[in-house]
Amino acid sequence: MSEQTQQRRARRGRAVRWGVPIAAVAVVAGAVGAGPVIAAVQGDPVLPERTAEQLLADALQATKSGPTPMSGTVLQTASLGVPGLPEVSSGMGGTSPAALLTGSHELKVWYGGDERLRLAMPGRMSETDLIVNGDQAWLWESDSSTATRIKDTGEAAGHASGKGPGHESGHESGHPEALPTAATPQQIAKEVLQRADADTAVGVSSSEKVAGRDAYQLTLAPKDASSLVKEVKLALDGETFVPLRVQVYAKSAAEPAFEVGFTSVSFTPPAPENFTFTPPPGAKVKEQSLDELAKGLGADPQARQEKGGKIAEGMRTVGKGWTAVAVLPFSAQDLKGLAPQGQTGEEAGSPEAQAVTDALLKSATPVSGPWGSGKVVRTKLVSALLTDDGRLLFGAVTPEKLTEVAGR
Amino acid sequence: MSTVDVTGVTAEAGPAPVPDAAPGLREDTPASRRPGAARAWLRLLGSEAGLTFRRPRNLAVLAVLGIIPVLIGVVMRLFAEPIAAEAADGPGNGGAIFAQITGNGLFLTFAALSVLVQLMLPVAVAVVAGDAVAGEAGGGTLRYLLTAPAGRTRLLAAKYGNAVLFCLAAVSVIALSALVTGLALFPIGPITLLSGTTISFAEGLLRIGLVVLYVTAGMAALAAFALALSTLTEVAIGAIAATVVTVIVIQVLGVIPQLAWLQPYLLTQWWNEFDGVLRDPVAAGEMGQGLLVFAAYVVIFGSIAWARFTGKDITS
Amino acid sequence: MTTEAGDHSIVTRGLTKRFRGGQVAVDDLHLSVPRGSVFGFLGPNGSGKTTTIRMLLGLVAPTQGGWDLLGTPMPGGVSAVLPRVGALVEGPAFYPYLSGEANLRRYDAADPAADPRTASRRIGLALDRVGLTAAAGKRYRAYSLGMRQRLAIAAALLGPRELLVLDEPTNGLDPQGTREVRALVKEIAADGTTVFVSSHLLAEVEQMCTHVGVMRTGRLVAEGPIAGLLGGEAVRVRVETPDTAEAAAVLSGLGLAGVRTGAGEAAAELGEQAPERVTAALVAAGVAVRGLAVQRPSLEDVFVGLTGEGFDVDG
Repeated sequence: MSEQTQQRRARRGRAVRWGVPIAAVAVVAGAVGAGPVIAAVQGDPVLPERTAEQLLADALQATKSGPTPMSGTVLQTASLGVPGLPEVSSGMGGTSPAALLTGSHELKVWYGGDERLRLAMPGRMSETDLIVNGDQAWLWESDSSTATRIKDTGEAAGHASGKGPGHESGHESGHPEALPTAATPQQIAKEVLQRADADTAVGVSSSEKVAGRDAYQLTLAPKDASSLVKEVKLALDGETFVPLRVQVYAKSAAEPAFEVGFTSVSFTPPAPENFTFTPPPGAKVKEQSLDELAKGLGADPQARQEKGGKIAEGMRTVGKGWTAVAVLPFSAQDLKGLAPQGQTGEEAGSPEAQAVTDALLKSATPVSGPWGSGKVVRTKLVSALLTDDGRLLFGAVTPEKLTEVAGR
Repeated sequence: MSTVDVTGVTAEAGPAPVPDAAPGLREDTPASRRPGAARAWLRLLGSEAGLTFRRPRNLAVLAVLGIIPVLIGVVMRLFAEPIAAEAADGPGNGGAIFAQITGNGLFLTFAALSVLVQLMLPVAVAVVAGDAVAGEAGGGTLRYLLTAPAGRTRLLAAKYGNAVLFCLAAVSVIALSALVTGLALFPIGPITLLSGTTISFAEGLLRIGLVVLYVTAGMAALAAFALALSTLTEVAIGAIAATVVTVIVIQVLGVIPQLAWLQPYLLTQWWNEFDGVLRDPVAAGEMGQGLLVFAAYVVIFGSIAWARFTGKDITS
Repeated sequence: MTTEAGDHSIVTRGLTKRFRGGQVAVDDLHLSVPRGSVFGFLGPNGSGKTTTIRMLLGLVAPTQGGWDLLGTPMPGGVSAVLPRVGALVEGPAFYPYLSGEANLRRYDAADPAADPRTASRRIGLALDRVGLTAAAGKRYRAYSLGMRQRLAIAAALLGPRELLVLDEPTNGLDPQGTREVRALVKEIAADGTTVFVSSHLLAEVEQMCTHVGVMRTGRLVAEGPIAGLLGGEAVRVRVETPDTAEAAAVLSGLGLAGVRTGAGEAAAELGEQAPERVTAALVAAGVAVRGLAVQRPSLEDVFVGLTGEGFDVDG
């Protein structure tokens, strides 16, 4: 064999050798990116085309008949751009309600029909579970090894879902137990569907893929230019019309400001063991009504509700739809009392709450105009204006719109 | 032609010289594909393991890993109340697992692993896997292994196999030490899972076995990375240090929220997923995904190690 | 170029190694080591001997060229051929925390062709052969330099070998150890094994080898049977005398060529003449002979003749 041949073989050998790790990287990258790639390749709709109207009707029909038994993992990601919220401290394990405003959170859902529901929020070496089985409801916190039996479940369930957006919109997460309910795609989707009316541009596509399932996607975009919301995307399962994902896009960012959706989902009814709960030996067992529980978890709803109720009395809304602005009498003092608090929830005005409030006020920009003067806080989705004459205006609109409303 | 026969073994050990007919086709090594090649490889693996487990340094590392669960157990036993109270105060950081130890000795195993998997265990694995090739190169023994001839691919496979064995041994030492300490110092009985469900002691042992296997797989992925670094240098301590530093950097990257998109690709994030065993139902999805990530690391860094080692000039 | 399998243990064809820095360690090496020979691979330190040996054993990939070992083209045949090759490369290297015996067992385990059932016996015999039986259980860390060198030779003798490659086998040995190694090499060669010994010591190669190859700065400057190389140089006779002119005349009269005179001596090529006849003629002519020496050519002369350079004889 000639030297040249050997030469060439040696060089080829080297190329082949390094080809192996390169191929390995390619295969792994391919496997990681396979989902989107396959979705893109299969871009042609697998599902029969539906107009937005048909889809909405089907979806509403499906919501009316109640959700099918299912289980899955829900991932919630928020980057609302609320000033002053500590972004670092809340990892995947954060279970404090305020933590839901930032970062991403995983929630496991089992729904067995017949008022049987289990939600599990896994943390590192910990877990918080809510198990609802008919008229029984338990809250289990592995961190403190506490099992809490929740009384008045029937009422509580109604309470949780009936406590509408009006109650919530000021500060996203009031009651901890309202969180899981508000965080399932079903709840949020229902809310979005109800808002789809004349001031919304509605689009629909039938080639989405969510949690490995073919899905329809509704796109709802506000027509009013003063809205901070660019669009809301709602993915519905192609078979069951169960909402699989909700994404809220702000005009200021390409990534969704808020997203909640299934990362995996199965429509086989989950095992019944998921819905039974017996307090383990050695655990602290408590029995509490919903309000007491919420108090125990730190939100002190009594005081807040009183205060909130007082404030809400004076509230009125200007405009409607996407650009509705709420106006209520308010002052910086009130804000401190209402600030969302940590889970431990000592007395109101705890250092944590104080810090958030201070940061919020500090980040506020002073504005003035013919209507007077005040301070504006702007996040990706919501603006708030606190006027010096004691009014609070807020809505999913630009600060300009707020000052305009303030002048009326 | 005759052979030196210092042995009195007259049988020709090597294969007969192959006729020149098709020299170009004689690529890699018929020797490794002969029947009995598997047994010969196991002998090499046994030799590697013998070396690893006889080496004083490695034994010291294993001893340290074994002592820490005992320390945790004793401290918990002596100062259980204040620690438990403090641990319960810190929400979401897993401190509560320590509070559980006093209630059930079996939890010491999970608590010890959750502490050690962060850094100590990776360091132990780096010491062995980072040393694997670089140590032999630095000591000059690599040239004698290769002229024996161990065969480069074959030797690398044995080195990695041995590193995985060490991972298993290290994790098992921690688990056994914690188990024995837990049984000696704390009550035993049915175990309460993180989800609030109670399982029997026997099933608890089974789940400890699952944890040991999962953590071993996670460490095996790190071993592949360390082995790849080990083929790049002749200074063993360099490969070991580089591995440890990488682990620390990845741990830091893992807690920066702006890099959240990166987290699913980071090895260290998946090590902690062993707590899925303590849920009801077992979080098989997450742990399965973890195993896939580990496998991806093994394939990528294993092939890098292979490409580098088979083409390397051995000049030490 | 092809070679008959069987007539050469090592054949290289234009073997070249250029390291990444651009430094050429071995340049276009054509080497033929006959089967059954004791081949001295000679050259000063840094002349490319060790790099050549590393290439022969598949440790370093040549930049250019090819080679055969025991009639098999390399590097494809590494795993088939190397079990029949014993090697000592650039000094001993062992695991300090293992005993001598455990170290040999470790290398034996690496050889896929070695039979584990005979391992203990083969290791015992190899240790015996280098005289380390008594120290077999001692940790390598505690070995002296000479014991380490001998253990490395034992490692090269673990199996039946057709070729032994010994890189500076007497390095670090005391004179007694050096003599033992020489005896061992001769013994092994007597069994028919080809021995390829590299050395920077001229005397050592001269005493052990049947063939020789001389390296200088990466190139092979001479190669062949040692007798043939020395045959190129004449045997000379040197006469110590105050009467240099008369002595020169007598030497010329005897028909010797290359007659030269110096301070107190005269010399000439001896040719076919017997030294005793030269002595008789000088005495008969009345030359005052203070001394007479017959000078056989040495490898050093050959080397100086080839390269015009000296050799660091002492290493």
